[in-house]
Amino acid sequence: MIELYRIWKQYQKPGWALSDVTFKVAQGDFWFITGPSGSGKTTLLKILFREIYPTQGQIIINNRNILRVPDHKIYQLRRKMGIVYQDFRLLFHKRVFDNIAIVLQVLGVSRKEIRRRVFNALRLVNLHNKMWEYPAHLSYGEQQRVAIARAVVNHPQIILADEPTGNLDTELAFEIMSLFNDINRKGSTVIICTHDRELIRHFGKRILFLYKGKVLRKESLS
Amino acid sequence: MIQKLKYFLSDTSNNLWQHRMRNLFSITIICLSFLTIGIFLSISNNLQHLARQMSRNMAVVLFLDPGISDTAVESLKKDLTRSPHVSEVRFNSARQANEDFQEKFPDLRKIVENLGENPFPPSLQVSLHQKAQSSEAALNFIRSFSGRSGVDDIQYNREWAERMQSFSRLAQAVGFFLGGILVLASFFIISNIVKLNVFARKDEIEILRLTGATNTFIRTPFLLEGVILGVLGGILSLMLLFLLIRIFPLYLGASMGAFRDFIRFRSLSFSQCLSLILAGGFIGFLGSLSSLARFLKT
Repeated sequence: MIELYRIWKQYQKPGWALSDVTFKVAQGDFWFITGPSGSGKTTLLKILFREIYPTQGQIIINNRNILRVPDHKIYQLRRKMGIVYQDFRLLFHKRVFDNIAIVLQVLGVSRKEIRRRVFNALRLVNLHNKMWEYPAHLSYGEQQRVAIARAVVNHPQIILADEPTGNLDTELAFEIMSLFNDINRKGSTVIICTHDRELIRHFGKRILFLYKGKVLRKESLS
Repeated sequence: MIQKLKYFLSDTSNNLWQHRMRNLFSITIICLSFLTIGIFLSISNNLQHLARQMSRNMAVVLFLDPGISDTAVESLKKDLTRSPHVSEVRFNSARQANEDFQEKFPDLRKIVENLGENPFPPSLQVSLHQKAQSSEAALNFIRSFSGRSGVDDIQYNREWAERMQSFSRLAQAVGFFLGGILVLASFFIISNIVKLNVFARKDEIEILRLTGATNTFIRTPFLLEGVILGVLGGILSLMLLFLLIRIFPLYLGASMGAFRDFIRFRSLSFSQCLSLILAGGFIGFLGSLSSLARFLKT
């Protein structure tokens, strides 16, 4: 369970990036956060994995106020999350395998287990035959799928994705979104920031509309 | 734990190899810093050894009147031997002194021959017990002979030994001062090189942070890198020092003449070598730590 309560965020420039945002995400939910550029989608996501602090407000994840977690213990929260970025953030000097394995190496998982889990994650995104390639040799869509495999390899409770289809054509975007759908069906909570209305219309279940940092409305589609 | 250790080692070695030119530069700087300290330590070691040897062989020489009678010599000998400070008294006749000189310095033989007479006086060579060598009482006892009839002059090399010891301390101080400055420089160089390495891997660090790596996990390969650079610099400086110690006497050999056998270049002791290597590692560790502190706040 994720609860955001009256979140305000101001950067150094005047004006509020987020003002009074409150919403709840239940375990296993699939949420879209949408709105035009500059509406505060990315800021909200960054606050959720505590890359930045809100100016005001509280965030409860699994009954724990994450704003009170000391810096040196924040890794405990992040290990329960998988994060996908619009720019993929892959390491181009490492192979696909190593890009994904890094998440498990952090946890001290054995080499054998790492191989098994990385292979499974890559099979999920249908890239298991490109395990030993370098990201530079993959297409945009494939690179994004590697980023998704990295986010899910540790079976996180929460998946956060910031414009994961921003650089992809419609067909690939649908393919990627289907992947998130599959991951959600396996029990992970998924929160995706996107401004792609077509995707939201097709996959949207719960939607949070932001405009100039404020919650415009929340929708739940059946 | 073993998996993490394997990761750290492979990550560190990859990084060291990836930025090998940069790392080689920092090893060279550390090596030069420690070489400076090492050279001065070695000079100090040699001077100290020399001083010790001088005081161990500290012989007091009583130069006697050329015309001194055998009975007077015997009486002096008896008085000296009676003292608890004295271990041995040996008489050296004028003829014996002349022969010894000509044997040791054959090139100067002609000068002595041209004099037409033996310029060397007879002497009594007094060896002191080890404990008495630095005691004031022993010195006063020896000094008391200066007024005795038949005794012309007294010579002892304690002052030389003391002077040598203060030179040794000076060499050590200069070494630590110069070395200290260079060590400080190598600290900043390591710190900046690790900073460059951290910059080069900024993206990777970012990903590690967001995937739940602890700060220790992120820091360890960089700290290891600093320690390895420092230790390698220390080891290299010792190797160069040993090489210098081997080559230097060969270079000086021709000009050292009679002192050739007297001065033997000594390398550093095992504990000094170990301290230099450990200091290298420590400097590397601190350098890395200082550059990482700013990067890994959250």
